[in-house]
Amino acid sequence: MTVVGLERRLANFRQGQAASPLDDGADRVRRSTAAAERLAASLDGELVRTPQGAFVRVEAPSTILPIDRVRLAGLPGQPPATAPLLCLDTETTGLATAAGTLAFLVGIGWWEGSRFRQVQLLLPDHADEPALLAELARLIPIDGWLVTYNGRGFDWPLLVARYRMWRESPPLHAGHLDLLPLVRRVFKHRMPDARLATVESVLLGLRRHADVGGWEIPTRYLEFLRTGEPTALLDVVHHNHEDVRSLARLLVHVDRGYADDERWAEAPPGDLAGLARAFAGEGRHAEALACLETALAGTRRPEPVLVPIVRERSVPYRTSDPDDEGPWWSAHRRPDFGGPPGRYARPDAWPASDPVRRDAAWTESRILGERARMLRRLGRHRDAEAAWIEMAGSGGTLAALAWIEVAKLREHRFRDLGGALTAASAAARLVERQGLLGRRLPRLEAGLGHRLARLRARLARDQARPMRLERRRIRRSTAASSGTPSSPGASTASEAAAAASLTSLASPGVRPIRAGSMCAAVSAAMNTSPAPVGSSSASDGIAR
Amino acid sequence: MRTYAPATTEAVLARLLEEPSLSAAVAHHALLPAREAVTAPFPAWLDPRIVRGLEGRGITSLYAHQAEAIEAVHAGEDVVVVTPTASGKTLCYALPVLQALAVDPSARALFLFPTKALGQDQVTEFAELARASELQVAAATYDGDTPAPIRSAIRTAGQVVVTNPDMLHAAILPHHTKWFQLFEQVQVIVIDELHTYRGVYGSHVANVLRRLLRLCRHYGSNPIIVCASATIGNPAELAAQLTGRSPRLIDRNGAPAGERHVLLVDPPLLDPATGARGSALTHAQRWALPFLRAGRQTIVFGRARVAVEIILTGLREALREHLGPRSRIRGYRGGYLPTERRAIERGLRDGEILGVVSTNALELGVDIGALDVSILAGYPGSIAGTWQQLGRAGRRQETSVGILVASGSPVDQYVIHHPEFLLEGTPEEARLDPDNLHVLLAHLRCATFEMPFEPGEVFGPGPVDDLLAFIAEEGHVRQANDGRWYWSSENFPASEVSLRTAAPENVVIIDTTPDRPRVIGEVDLFSAQVLVHTQAIYLHDSTQYHVDRLDWGERKAYVRRVDVDYYTYANRAVTLKPLDVFASAPATGGRRVHGEVMVASLVTLFKKLKFGTDENVGWGPIELPELELQTTAYWLTAEGASAGWRRDDLDVALIGAGRAIQAVAAVLLMVDPRDLGLVSQVRSPHHESPTIYLYEAVPGGVGLSERLWARHDELVAGARELIQACACDSGCPACTGPRLDPEVDAKALALRLLAAMDAAADPSTASTSDPAGSTAIAATR
Repeated sequence: MTVVGLERRLANFRQGQAASPLDDGADRVRRSTAAAERLAASLDGELVRTPQGAFVRVEAPSTILPIDRVRLAGLPGQPPATAPLLCLDTETTGLATAAGTLAFLVGIGWWEGSRFRQVQLLLPDHADEPALLAELARLIPIDGWLVTYNGRGFDWPLLVARYRMWRESPPLHAGHLDLLPLVRRVFKHRMPDARLATVESVLLGLRRHADVGGWEIPTRYLEFLRTGEPTALLDVVHHNHEDVRSLARLLVHVDRGYADDERWAEAPPGDLAGLARAFAGEGRHAEALACLETALAGTRRPEPVLVPIVRERSVPYRTSDPDDEGPWWSAHRRPDFGGPPGRYARPDAWPASDPVRRDAAWTESRILGERARMLRRLGRHRDAEAAWIEMAGSGGTLAALAWIEVAKLREHRFRDLGGALTAASAAARLVERQGLLGRRLPRLEAGLGHRLARLRARLARDQARPMRLERRRIRRSTAASSGTPSSPGASTASEAAAAASLTSLASPGVRPIRAGSMCAAVSAAMNTSPAPVGSSSASDGIAR
Repeated sequence: MRTYAPATTEAVLARLLEEPSLSAAVAHHALLPAREAVTAPFPAWLDPRIVRGLEGRGITSLYAHQAEAIEAVHAGEDVVVVTPTASGKTLCYALPVLQALAVDPSARALFLFPTKALGQDQVTEFAELARASELQVAAATYDGDTPAPIRSAIRTAGQVVVTNPDMLHAAILPHHTKWFQLFEQVQVIVIDELHTYRGVYGSHVANVLRRLLRLCRHYGSNPIIVCASATIGNPAELAAQLTGRSPRLIDRNGAPAGERHVLLVDPPLLDPATGARGSALTHAQRWALPFLRAGRQTIVFGRARVAVEIILTGLREALREHLGPRSRIRGYRGGYLPTERRAIERGLRDGEILGVVSTNALELGVDIGALDVSILAGYPGSIAGTWQQLGRAGRRQETSVGILVASGSPVDQYVIHHPEFLLEGTPEEARLDPDNLHVLLAHLRCATFEMPFEPGEVFGPGPVDDLLAFIAEEGHVRQANDGRWYWSSENFPASEVSLRTAAPENVVIIDTTPDRPRVIGEVDLFSAQVLVHTQAIYLHDSTQYHVDRLDWGERKAYVRRVDVDYYTYANRAVTLKPLDVFASAPATGGRRVHGEVMVASLVTLFKKLKFGTDENVGWGPIELPELELQTTAYWLTAEGASAGWRRDDLDVALIGAGRAIQAVAAVLLMVDPRDLGLVSQVRSPHHESPTIYLYEAVPGGVGLSERLWARHDELVAGARELIQACACDSGCPACTGPRLDPEVDAKALALRLLAAMDAAADPSTASTSDPAGSTAIAATR
């Protein structure tokens, strides 16, 4: 088409004319039908014609894949045992879940007893989409749960958009189990990334041969639409079939290895630590603690565990790539097609080196820290303190963090200012040593500085104004006529407590406590000290 | 003159006018009488809660234009409201929206503002009104600053969504399925600051609105469109072009105003031979100081950030010397943090801050209350913008003063000597062309992505099958077996289309000042040659950037924030070839033509010019390849007018006349003079006669040249007046351009040529008035 031709078209358009007569489309329909038939034939599928259009249905032979749903339901975030499960994975013409992206292949799978059945629906032409969507809606049980991999973020919103495009409401279902968050939580520590292919190789020991790369898939389908030649789609259909089956395999793997606490001892400690977080996320702290304790036992086993912990490869985390600038729709942002590997780190890649990050690699001391946190959440503060002191034995940044936690517990729970100061000082020494080694932790340093200053000020105040404190305490206790036990000389009490806590560092667990007098002294001191730094204004902006 | 003690605005002005060095520079002094409010009661259908809310805020009746607007919207009419700054335009759209929400809380409204800051201001104001009316309204801005977790809440539950065209284009329309609640229920679309949607940007926005309304139709909604605009010559036409509908024009201003003095100040010529003038910045300071000392709230507008800084420093120093209120003078510009800006706005409203020096960041709707004096250091580029800035001063009861200080550019000079433009109805019009081929094709791609096209479906003026067939040949679109046109590519077209440029290929401008370099804009290749060549000073959001490097191959310009007192001007060597003639008509002394041209442009060097005085302070070479641009142009031939001329004289006369015509055209069509390229040929190969071409520096053009062709007579007459009114001896940068040869009287030559082409002066066509314009101006001086 020449430029002049385009100008003429524009001129016609400006005058509101339809320039060339619209063709009747018979040829287009003929070609489209032929392509659909070829597609069905080459996939050994069935071309289903409905009043809304046609779609190709492919069903491969089913496979035996037993799963104990009752056992699985015991894990956090899992569907109830009675809900039918529908594994689902789509292949699309792009990665944006925007209006112009099409799901041209929807693979689904479900259990019938211990048999796993799989069906794939393919779109022969744009115009046939309502037929495919209607069939999919028919296959999703209203009480069923979807099982996907990143389906919450991608597959399902995309399908919802497709239904909306045709002004249909998306099919109802009872729940959605996205396995990606589970994998991130439990297994990510031993995988270089969280792609489904990596899950297959690391967790399931599978390796795909001659698999089609995700980034090629849109082109292959668009090519089919243009030429009507289905050969290039065969690999895509196979790829999707394997993806759906892997969803089922992954669920079975979780069910067998993790749903039964008898089997926990065989699992890598890092998995259990992640699982503990999943339990804790649902408020099941006791189970989380049990999980962590099994994990700790695992790390202390002389023999390596059955599944060795794969040392994660350190992948550079992209933080300052100018290509990553701007919002997600920006033209300058590279789309994430999941392949070809090695070009750049995927957002799923995580650094293994920074132990302060929540998503750092699992080590014994980090698991200890998790356990201490869980104990504190369960209200077992003394045990938590002991766990943290144990964790502090490992040295380094984590030890500093542990001492800070000890200081917090002592200051706020045990009202033991002296002990808190000792712990905070220990943390400060460790941070300082890290600084000397060239690993500066400015935020930690600043926080510690604050904490130390506050503790010293409070201690000094308690010592400098014992009489006033005492008077006020007595006044208040008489006014309230409550039975606060009075003890003469609050300052000596706090000094004794400080001394006691110093000794406690050497022998954790055995500490003389004089809680009554301490609490009184501290609460009186709290009264005179300025109000703790609140965060009342922090949420203002968002609340609006 | 020392005015330390508080004094009234009038007293200060009177004293200033007694000062000979100042009053001599006043080119025109107009007194606009006070105007009474024309009010109307609240309509009976208005929800009583809203009436109570308004009364709670001290509003007991509506101004006439507000009442007319909300009645029209209530009756289901689209409207375009055109009234000056601070006339309560917000209520014209806020009330219908609140009413719709009071009747049906599931109703939705979409507000479009040209900038993020404005949108955020307006949402605050709207929310206050809703709260006062005790209506639960979820109003929120949806822009680049909106945090991700809040976005989904706005999508599903936002009743009033405030956004900007860029966000609508790239984030909302392509994801319309996530916004289906909005699209199904949208009842009112508000487009504020309509006059900013012109040129390339306006052409894009018109297409974004076509896409928006197309999706509304799909979801079964038919929203009413409420536009609000500053005063321009063609608001109804602009609104119609933008929205594709014919909104009702409401321009009867019912808001009251106090008495207002408007002064047009032309800094005196220092050297009539070279045309060197007094700086607009210095003069603006001299006028501002006495008002500040007398305790009158004063705002001074500078055109660029650096101008603001120069004026601010000058004022503070002067006030220090005389122990004035210098700490109460603040700067205000784009780069400030929102909290700082809010603090300054509040300070201005409650009188804590006495003076503010601002870029045009304060020009659009931001609420700072009304001040006493507004001083403009330089013409802001449009009469609408001038009034928006002058309108910052204007108390309801007391006298206010607005002063426009002209710089030495021809556009400034033309405006300052045409007070009637400012005072008696503006001749400037906003132009756009939604059917610019490049723009249209870009948005057809986006529209197909969003929703397949039915066969024969109309988008704008006509069915688009033919154009879609063209896009289909590229492979991004295909016609399926049902005859519809579907998007069939993995690309995301909205991300490839920038609303600021016409051509698909752009130079991306990257700011390397912050730690993380960030993209601040894009320019098309043709403009990039002159705007972002290496060492250029690029102005963006009133901030100056120095271009450290232009990587032509990568289409990237790396810039760094600077504050310098000069700007750069690149010389474009242009060869022009007419391709096609769309319209041609005889004119006095020759012909006027509208057609298509091919422009080959080579940029070889740039000059550094000082702010305010336009004095040349340096130059540098530019090494860039030649570019071709196919665009539309307006040209005039002078075969009759130039009979018997010497070739050299004619060359000078054509250049001088062309410069003046270019300046007048920039005023009439509200564009930057750089958007119109100028070429003159003593003997055009096409017409074989002396020709002046004005071409649009945008691929395909945006409809400017067609209007220039239609307004040919005004252009010639205006150019003649501009040169005549200039006080220089024989041509200067303010009229015929910098003098190339001191021996040649460019002024006289250009005037002679223009006189022979001026229809008004042509005895055969008219005998009404000869140099009427020039004598009138001489009288006002």
